[in-house]
Amino acid sequence: MKIIRQIGIIFAICWFSEVIESVLPFSFPASVTGMILLFICLAAGILKIEHVQEKAGFLLENMAFFFIPAGVSIINYFGILKHSAVQIVIICIISTIITFTVTAYSVMLTVRWMNRRKQHE
Amino acid sequence: MSELTSSPYFGVALSVIAFAIGVKLQQKLKTPVCNPLIIAILLVVGVLLIFKIPYESYYEGGKVIDMFLAPATACLAVAIYSKLKILKEYWFPILVGCTAGSAASMASVYGLCRLFGLDESLTISLIPKSVTTPIAVSVAEPNGGVVPVTVVAVIFTGILGGIFAPLLIRLLRIKDPVAAGLAIGASSHAVGTSKAVELGETEGAMSGLAIGICGIITVIFSMFIY
Repeated sequence: MKIIRQIGIIFAICWFSEVIESVLPFSFPASVTGMILLFICLAAGILKIEHVQEKAGFLLENMAFFFIPAGVSIINYFGILKHSAVQIVIICIISTIITFTVTAYSVMLTVRWMNRRKQHE
Repeated sequence: MSELTSSPYFGVALSVIAFAIGVKLQQKLKTPVCNPLIIAILLVVGVLLIFKIPYESYYEGGKVIDMFLAPATACLAVAIYSKLKILKEYWFPILVGCTAGSAASMASVYGLCRLFGLDESLTISLIPKSVTTPIAVSVAEPNGGVVPVTVVAVIFTGILGGIFAPLLIRLLRIKDPVAAGLAIGASSHAVGTSKAVELGETEGAMSGLAIGICGIITVIFSMFIY
């Protein structure tokens, strides 16, 4: 029953997110709305971590598994990819390095700035 | 034969077996190149091609698995919530880092796609590639992206992050574990995070936080682009 209740809570949140998605005037993905809703419920104390722990653990630990069908559908797109595979690989490599560098340096600069401000006080 | 493979049980069972083989292989070989998801996708694609099983038959089971994507994304909230203390302490650098990282990722992908002359739909598919798969897909899909291209690019990026992270940390002389963790999470989501966890507790926690926060920021940015 415990697991069923947890599944119920999480699926209810997902359904409610879809309802929100359908009434919002702009497009905002329901899955992300669900994440924000669940966070608010936890932070506001409406839900306790024990109410969702096992189910969340199950979903998070096996996250990769749920993407197999999405990945397999690549079978339908071999044609498009054949021409651009090399470019896509290069784009992924360069932008990963750029993203890593920009994030690391912006965090380091922010931390340094905060420390300097603290010393002034 | 086609009546048999179009049962939803077929697709689910095939996916589970393929994933189990992927997980086993990774445990044996211990290299980020052997990502269980990539191995599982290759195995399933191989089986479908060899036995001439149409994707639609496989997808009868695939639909069942797809249903868990949104709940799995929602549960990222639990991962963020369990790191609430560290989030409160470092909220400002986290916010700055994730915003800068998400912007750098989207802008660099866009620029490179233009440079290589990729078409509109591929560009849209690649733009959210640094965030976790469910969020990347929900950014790319409604805007005309090709979902499997997004999925493969996201996983590939994750694997790259896992490989490059230790090198970049040394090369860029990053001594702050907060900066290192956020950079790993922002550039290579969950696959990179598994590497960050190996580097240290702070790195792991920061990388995990960056997954969810960069995801939300990327969604917000994408609302203004499209």
